[in-house]
Amino acid sequence: MTALIQVKDVTKKYGGLIANNAISFDVAENEILSVIGPNGAGKSTLFKMIASFTPTTSGEVTYQGERISNLKPHIVARKGVVRTFQETTIFKSMTVRESVVVAQHLRAKASLAGYFWGSKTAKDDVTAFEKYADELLDFLGMSEISNEQASNLPQGSLRALGIAIGLATDPKVLLLDEPFAGMNHDETMNMVNLVRSVRDERGVTVMLVEHDMPAVMNISDRIVVLNFGEKIAEGTPSEIQNNEKVIEAYLGSVDDEIGM
Amino acid sequence: MLNFSKTQIFGVAAFLAVVFVGVPLFIAATGRSDFYFTLTSVALLAIASAGVWLTFYIGRINIGQGAFALVGAYVSAILVVKAGWSFWISLPAAGLFAALIAVLIGLPILRLRGVYFAMITLVLTQVATLTALALPITNGAKGITNIPLPGAISIFGIPLVPDFSTLENSRMAFYFTATILMVITYAALYRLVNSRLGHLCRSMQQNEELASSIGVNITYIRILIFAISSFFGGLGGAMFGSISQSVYPATFVVKDSVDFMLNCFLGGLGYVFGPMLGTLVLYFGWDLLFEFGKYQMLIYATLLILIIRFLPNGLLSVRFGKGGGK
Amino acid sequence: MANGVYLGSQYAMIALGLTLIFALMNVLNFAHGQMYVIGGFVTYTFYGQWGVPFVLALFMSCITLAIVGALIERYLFAPVIKGSAREESTMLLAAGIAFLLDALILLIFGEKQRGVPKIVDGVFNWDFRLIMPYDRILICVLAILSIVAFIALMQYSKTGRALRALAQDRTAAQLMGVNVDRYSMIGFALGAMLAGLVGGLLVTITGVNLGMGGPTSIKAFMMVMIGGAGVISGAIWGGFILGFMEAFGLAYLSQYGDITYLLIFVSLMIFLAIRPQGLMGKPWG
Repeated sequence: MTALIQVKDVTKKYGGLIANNAISFDVAENEILSVIGPNGAGKSTLFKMIASFTPTTSGEVTYQGERISNLKPHIVARKGVVRTFQETTIFKSMTVRESVVVAQHLRAKASLAGYFWGSKTAKDDVTAFEKYADELLDFLGMSEISNEQASNLPQGSLRALGIAIGLATDPKVLLLDEPFAGMNHDETMNMVNLVRSVRDERGVTVMLVEHDMPAVMNISDRIVVLNFGEKIAEGTPSEIQNNEKVIEAYLGSVDDEIGM
Repeated sequence: MLNFSKTQIFGVAAFLAVVFVGVPLFIAATGRSDFYFTLTSVALLAIASAGVWLTFYIGRINIGQGAFALVGAYVSAILVVKAGWSFWISLPAAGLFAALIAVLIGLPILRLRGVYFAMITLVLTQVATLTALALPITNGAKGITNIPLPGAISIFGIPLVPDFSTLENSRMAFYFTATILMVITYAALYRLVNSRLGHLCRSMQQNEELASSIGVNITYIRILIFAISSFFGGLGGAMFGSISQSVYPATFVVKDSVDFMLNCFLGGLGYVFGPMLGTLVLYFGWDLLFEFGKYQMLIYATLLILIIRFLPNGLLSVRFGKGGGK
Repeated sequence: MANGVYLGSQYAMIALGLTLIFALMNVLNFAHGQMYVIGGFVTYTFYGQWGVPFVLALFMSCITLAIVGALIERYLFAPVIKGSAREESTMLLAAGIAFLLDALILLIFGEKQRGVPKIVDGVFNWDFRLIMPYDRILICVLAILSIVAFIALMQYSKTGRALRALAQDRTAAQLMGVNVDRYSMIGFALGAMLAGLVGGLLVTITGVNLGMGGPTSIKAFMMVMIGGAGVISGAIWGGFILGFMEAFGLAYLSQYGDITYLLIFVSLMIFLAIRPQGLMGKPWG
């Protein structure tokens, strides 16, 4: 098992508050790894640091041996580590298809000037983008809503759109921020299958932050558990389910956060 | 993608015909050659407004275009008067210089969003005026006057543009120059907005975080767009200085910056040709109200407020549905 | 130094009004400078022309502006905020109102520079180290008192609490039973009133004229940016900082021509590059 992403002693402090304290773990190629923990455990902060949306206080994150922490987000995205967002962070007044076309801009062969003058390469790019957008939306089962304006979509489709935008950049690693939040059982199961097919059929390594325990147990190859900014456990779903520290951490917090 | 619909082609053709044939004929028939001056001004202000519109396209409210127009006007004037350059070379130089300034200023201030960016650009206009007053090269409050009219251009002995000072009707020459510039500006703007850069701008306008997560270098694009925008501002300003043959620190002041912004709002932010229409309406509205003497400002402001009150999304929002450009 | 305190206290009051309106409505009030000018003219009319006692004239300035502010909020800003697709429209509206007020000032008060007789004569002279006319000292004290009164009002009164709740979170304030429409109007009126008060105070020293409105608004924007938009302490800091910079600049740099503002602007840009939210502000609040 080779490590694709290595999180090494990553610490984040906000003033006196420690959001993450010396977190270390590896993510293997082609695995689905979940980061779980009660509210305020520092999961989202950790994700932001991996995608360089916020700098680390100390420690570093590497991707294929290269440091990706403390860079600019677009550079990390260009290297192939792409995050999606928790809330309804989308391009509101674009259609689903437009969003997915725009998200493919990294693969453009023509220069910006080429686009301006309408060069041959630029036209080929556009055709290729549109073709791939349709393929991708078909793969995600979103063909029917491809011409809908994003602001009109229901929540479940928005989440899928977020993943579609992420996938359109052709990432090696996709970071999903709470992909199942606010979904009912059926929707969650659809999303679980979708995430799994993203990994199986597209060879994308997936990391996700999530509250929904049954879904996490179902989907993950391995799980990292955070509590109060510390890593308290790491292992396969069955190992985690029987880990005393984990049970304690969860029993100590409010029940509904477990989502069971 | 150059697949224009028939109505689009027809619209553009009709527009060009009115601008280049209709207006000169009308003026020849009525003898109102002062219209040339008015329309030339509209064309130049529309160029500067196009720049403001472009910054709106990346989600920034730009009330600093007056500063860049002033920079452009001074650069061109200084190059022509003090360095003896031809106006035609000073024109792009003015645009480029304004763009350069925009890059330097943009680096820190483009990180600001919303109201903050609006405020600092507004302050920028005031500072440009004060700087023009303070620097020795700009002649302070006296300004630069007696700027010679644009000279002739010829390539390999073939005259392309005659010397403006030998012309009987330099107003008409300026009119054609300004409108040609305007048409080029808007054609460029249209291409830009409908190319990949335009799509990236739209993605930034709607969500900068998401845009950067899909690998858009938002800093770079912000600076690029601000530079292009200021290029338009410098261009319009330089040409304006040349027509009035003088530049003062008060040639472009805060009110002009605000006007550029109003032109865009009034025309509608969703339409490439919005700022052009906005400029025309606003400028002519102001001119027509001249009849009312001291009540001019009052009526103008009242109309403006009523328009915003009842048509908050711009004039074009009434005429067209969503989408369709010109 | 003393000039810094004096300028700073005036500026802080202007910035307070602007920041209050911004915090409550998320509106950048372009017309703030014009409101200040109106305040000046009202005091001029009552005190300078009709011989009404200064304090009463000042009071009239406050009342006039409060009414103007309330009307503008009620009939212009509130409906546009509700009806517009983009929040930028309010900025356009504010610009329109600034033009309108300018026009009204021109029609009602004319374009002449107006001044009033000094309210107290004499110059405070401390061993020639600190020379300052008494009227400036008096105005400065009055301004600082007004700022203190304003802060006390915001901190301890029911209205102040409601306004603060509104500024923090509109929806939450509504849920808590705050009458949002009513307090938006009160807040706007209060902000306008502050502008009127400063205008009335300053007319005794610098006089007032039509052209002062725009530049005043711009200075107010700078102060608000230094301090952080929508934060009361920020506005006060911003006002004093700009006041001091200007006082020092004019005292020591005047031989180099008018470069004080250029320097202030450049430092503002550098400052904002490091700290975009201002001294006291929350990031993009």
